[in-house]
Formats: sequence, C-alpha cells, structure tokens
Amino acid sequence: MSNSKKVVLIGYFGVGKSSLIRRFVQNIFTDDYLVTIGVHILKKTLIANDIEKTLVIWDIEGKEDVKTVRPSYLMGTSGFIYVIDSTRIHTYENLNEEIKFIKNNYPNIPLITVANKCDLIDVEIFKKQLVDLKIEIDFLTSAKTAENVEQIFINLSNKIF
Amino acid sequence: MTDAEKLLKLKELLLTEDRDFAHQILQKLDLLEETVYVNKNLSEKINPIIDKKIDAFIETMPSKLGPTITQTLKSEIKNSQDTIVDALFPIIGKMIKKYIQQEIKILSDNINNQVQETFSVRKFKRKIKSLFFGISENEIVMSEMVKAQLQQMFVIEKGSGIIIASYSVTETIDEDMIAGMLTAIKSFVEDAFSAGNQSLENIEYELYNIQIQNFSSYYMAAVISGAIDNASKSILQDKMMNFADKVLKNNINNKPIISEKLESFFINE
Repeated sequence: MSNSKKVVLIGYFGVGKSSLIRRFVQNIFTDDYLVTIGVHILKKTLIANDIEKTLVIWDIEGKEDVKTVRPSYLMGTSGFIYVIDSTRIHTYENLNEEIKFIKNNYPNIPLITVANKCDLIDVEIFKKQLVDLKIEIDFLTSAKTAENVEQIFINLSNKIF
Repeated sequence: MTDAEKLLKLKELLLTEDRDFAHQILQKLDLLEETVYVNKNLSEKINPIIDKKIDAFIETMPSKLGPTITQTLKSEIKNSQDTIVDALFPIIGKMIKKYIQQEIKILSDNINNQVQETFSVRKFKRKIKSLFFGISENEIVMSEMVKAQLQQMFVIEKGSGIIIASYSVTETIDEDMIAGMLTAIKSFVEDAFSAGNQSLENIEYELYNIQIQNFSSYYMAAVISGAIDNASKSILQDKMMNFADKVLKNNINNKPIISEKLESFFINE
C-alpha cells in the first residue's frame, strides 16, 4: 500500500488549477477552459529513495473567497497550493488575507503560493508589483510551457511526507 | 540681620533638603498613580508578567492538572449520571429511532412476502423441497433470488478521503480516486443538506448499491451488485460494525493487516 496524502489546490476561477494538475499528472495542456464543478480528483505517485509517495490531488472549483470553499473539501488536507493568475490582479490583491485565513484555520499544514500563466507576463514588472503589494509568491509557473509545474508538487511533497 | 530674617535663614537651612525630598516623593507618587490608575500604563507594565505566567502555566498544565482533571471528570461522570443521560438522550434517541425504523421495515417486508406467498404454488413446492432435503425454507428463498454480491469493500479516512484498506472481487479503476470521489460526494451531500450530524448512508446506481457505514474517524463503503433487500442490508451493517469492533479498533494504523482481514472477513458475503 502506497503512502498517500491529500493535496488541495485553491484559487479564483480560471487561474489554471486544473491545467496545472493536468500538466503534472498527465503532462497535457489545452487552451480550452472547462470550469470545474464541485471537485475533481486525480492522483500521481512520486518515487523518492525507492519509496512510493502518492499525492491524491483535489481540484476544487474556483472561488473568489477561500472562506466560501466547502470546509469538508479542505478537511484532512496534508498540503495546500494557492494558485493565482499572474495576468489578473484581482486574483491576488487579497492574497495575504486568503493565506492568513487558511493558516489560521488549518495550522501547521504546508502551503505553497503559485503564480500561474507566467509565460504571458513580463516577469520583472510582475515581481515589482508583488513587492508593492507586499505579496510573496513561492513559484512562478506556466501550465502551458510546464515551467516549474513539477517543482511545486515535488516541493510540497517534500514538506508533507 | 533682624530676628525674623535670622529665623527665615534658619528655616531655609533646616527645611530645604526635606522639602526637596518631599517633592521627589510627591513626583514618584504621581507617577505611581498614573501607572496604577491609567489602564494603558498599567497594562504595559503588567501584561508581560501575566503573559509569562500564562505561558508557564500552559506549559505545565498537562502534567500538573491532567491527573486532577481526569479524576474530577471521573467523579463528575459518576455523580452526574442523570445530567449525562439528559445530554446523551437526543443522540441515543435518534440512533434508537433509526434502528427501530429499520427493523420495522425489515419486519414489514418479511410479513408482506409471507402473506403474498402463503397460498402460492411456489410456496407449496418450496415446502415439499424443504421436507425432502432438510434445508430451511428461508435458505431456498434466498437461493431463488438474484443474489446480491459484494464487489468491493473500502475503509476510507473521513475528511481526507485517503484509502486505509480495500478489497475487490474484480479489477477496478483506481481505488484512491474512487475513495476520494466517494468522500467528495459524501461531503457535498452532507454539506448541502446540512441536517444536524446526519451522514450519507447509501448510493444507488442501476444494479449497484453502495452501503456506507460511518464511524468516528473513518467510514466503510461496500459496493454491492444485484438486488439487496433490507435483511441483507442489516446483515451487512452488522458485519461492518463487527469488523470495526474486532479489527479496525485495534489496527487502524496497520494497513496490511486491515486489508488482509477485510478479505477474509467479507470474502464469502
């Protein structure tokens, strides 16, 4: 029996949560936007030091406020990935409050912040904007080019296993 | 120098030092008053001390108060049995009500079946068969029915939906994903119809039926093919509860043992 942990991706509608998961699990990307209704579950097994580590990844529907996500979808989570869309400021202008809420309600659960769609932006301008907004982002990713996608899941799995 | 001037000089010499001293004390008193009577100032002084004390108290509380609390709870429970009964009654009452409803339904099903079949030719044939072969009528009835068969059995952690153990008669799609989706559906239904602490207990689709038995930190899900009647459901529920009591209770962290026992416990169902 493999060692399994639940990981949940959170963020606004259309930030690319499902695309990141599909890129990581199935290594595919499509431009079609299919809204996630309810929850979709995928899994990926990583092997490190001959030990199988399975991430059961919950792709939940996008919400503009993390407080409105069904608490039962977040229960028993071992790691969170908060995804923002680097091309849309309103998906991250309240990021610090969102992170604070998660950390208060799910203390000691590792959380990684990810700015997706970085292939569509000027990274330097974006980074400056993050500094102005006092926002810290752990990874800049692109589900389209696969940049940093695997790294976010490996980084999180190292924190939770 | 007149006498009056002399006296003034003498006063000055004798009292100046005392007056300064008194003035200093007065200043200190003012400061003290300001500290004591102005809430903000008092908080600044006292809060760090209280915080330190609270931290120290929190740190030592489990070891210092643990045994006392346990003892107090024990004696309180012993002395307040009526209060506890009052508190538990609604919960237990609900359980009993549900159990009685279930049992009445089974009884009603059985009576209906009996009444319908009492004078039928089939019933007569069954009686003859029973007399000749020494098999009970109930067993013959069971074999005549489309037998419900257990296809899969899961033990799943509540909340995370992580699979603890599973048993399957045939190859299936990914069990981790089934367990996750089942938990998500269950969570959704329980959230959407937030009626107290009730839980989803049954999912039906075509000829398959998923029976769910909830426990505190995990739940069991049995996937059954064929028609399952209330009596069989009741047997399955009992079996799941027995399994929880005999196997899961003591081995919840031992996944290989649970999987092994799951197979031997339910294989002939």
